Amino acid sequence: MRLVLTQDDRIGVLTEGGMVDVSAAFDDIRYRTAADRMPRVMAALKDRRHRIEGVAHSGSAEAVPALQAPVPRPPKLIAAFGNYREGWDRERQPQDMFLESPDSVTGPDSTVVLPRHPADIFHHEAELALVIGQRAKDLPADASTLDAVAGYTCAMDVSARGIGRVGPSRIGKSFDTFTPLGPAVVTTDEVPDPQNLRVTLTVNGEERQNYTTADMEYSVVEVLAFISSYMTLVPGDVILCGTQHQGLGALQDGDHAEMTIERVGTLAVDVRDPLKREWARGIDEEMATRQRAVGQS
Amino acid sequence: MRIAAFDGGKPGVVASDDTIVEIGDLLEQYDPPGPEHYLPDLIVHFDELRPELERRTEAGGGTPLSNAKLDAPFARPGKIICLMGNYREGTDRPLQRIDLFFKSPESIVGDGDTVVLPPHQADIFHHEAEIAVVIGREAKDLSDDEAMDAVFGYVAFNDVSARGLGRSGINSFLGKSFDTFGGFGPWIVTKDELPDPQNLHITVDVDGERRQDYSTSDMERPIRELMTYISSITKLHPGDVICCGTNHQGLGSMQHGDAVTTTVEGIGSFTLHVKDEHSRAWQRGVDRETAERVKASAVHPDATPTGGSGS
Repeated sequence: MRLVLTQDDRIGVLTEGGMVDVSAAFDDIRYRTAADRMPRVMAALKDRRHRIEGVAHSGSAEAVPALQAPVPRPPKLIAAFGNYREGWDRERQPQDMFLESPDSVTGPDSTVVLPRHPADIFHHEAELALVIGQRAKDLPADASTLDAVAGYTCAMDVSARGIGRVGPSRIGKSFDTFTPLGPAVVTTDEVPDPQNLRVTLTVNGEERQNYTTADMEYSVVEVLAFISSYMTLVPGDVILCGTQHQGLGALQDGDHAEMTIERVGTLAVDVRDPLKREWARGIDEEMATRQRAVGQS
Repeated sequence: MRIAAFDGGKPGVVASDDTIVEIGDLLEQYDPPGPEHYLPDLIVHFDELRPELERRTEAGGGTPLSNAKLDAPFARPGKIICLMGNYREGTDRPLQRIDLFFKSPESIVGDGDTVVLPPHQADIFHHEAEIAVVIGREAKDLSDDEAMDAVFGYVAFNDVSARGLGRSGINSFLGKSFDTFGGFGPWIVTKDELPDPQNLHITVDVDGERRQDYSTSDMERPIRELMTYISSITKLHPGDVICCGTNHQGLGSMQHGDAVTTTVEGIGSFTLHVKDEHSRAWQRGVDRETAERVKASAVHPDATPTGGSGS
């Protein structure tokens, strides 16, 4: 099942013919905004599966309307540091993660707005994202842990480099609009092997990132076990599983960036920079080389 | 005015005679989808609610604080934004570059609650007493002039910190996001009661021994500047919390059986208990090594190599 949220706050399921409105399957859920509704919807997804499919079956498909992020403001937005072998057979780095601002989330076909802050560069980072479906703490690193996941979606972890005091950017990932998310939450049954998915990202049609989740250092279930050993996960939390840095490049004014994860979907955004700054186009080879060297000593 | 939660999350107002008056019925009129909406609703509607809140506190008849169990005043803040460093550590060193991180909203505990140390092999678990700002309205790109208008009030905070976890050299700060590692309390004091938040005394006592003891006048960047900077990055919402950083002179370990009392002048005190199933032991008293290292670590902002590497 591929669940979406329309800009006019309807919940839909994507089908071959477009989208079927299944809002009726959730009409008893109280909410004030989409931001506090969707975590409740994510929590209800598994139990209401038959009800949703029933509504979808009796409804008729419409062309897919304009969408917002399936979780417009997650309770927590958690991201993995690195977490790819960068195409090498190297030892795994110690596992680490951090939190980003949940207000950085933006939807499919929206615009990433670069802030005035004097960053060295703004990079795209295409990532597999997990959406949590139930409260969970201390999950084991085995397949049963996927029960806590409502589904998968695409995320671009847009990253301003050179902001902050020391080390790699964290805060440079939390600017408003810096986490495009969507288009659909794809339930886990549609993705039998999350460790064997092709992830690609193009900018203005030019290929930048092209990697497979088989290159992940810590698998999806290991990511879940690690983060839930620190904090309770709650429905609607979004976890970004990290990116492979071979193929990162600049995002700049006027760019159209489009990422695809096999079986999960395609997410596209435009980029606007009020300051019209310019960086070299194409792949940032210096970043790619530096990331390959990590752990090679 | 002092805004609190008590006896299982009931919202209340603390009167001058140290009784607490429940106000949940007043907040039900806004039809909250869940208890996490109480505080944001109170903040958003505070001006219209204030006369009735004052009438109730003056009318008396509340529960004496000694008979109530205070909870963290927030069921769950939307964001907890923490400053990195942000004190001159008692020196007159140059300003460092501003930096911040986010702490898990699931970490919060209140007065009398227990911090549970996880089994993770941390070098040490530190207390960090801070003053925290509670946001009063939706805000983005605040100007210097309007920055303090977006403040609702202040609260005392203890940013419990596990050191030495994660990947070295990248400062994930994940060791601050364990469940129970965010002590808030004892209540929110509205900003009208604290006209000068940059001149408040902050202390931590562990089992009666004084550890941290500093003034917010030592802050590198004042609250006004934190508000403008943070709102230039991320939209702020009513009930979001900004923890203004700590002075590291006086940090010390938190270990099994400790009672850790955090006090901010003009706000109040709250006490956290510490539980460690592994009963690990660290040296008691002030961690002088951390104090000296942080004091010496200031680097001139222009000379700081930052960013660059990926994540």
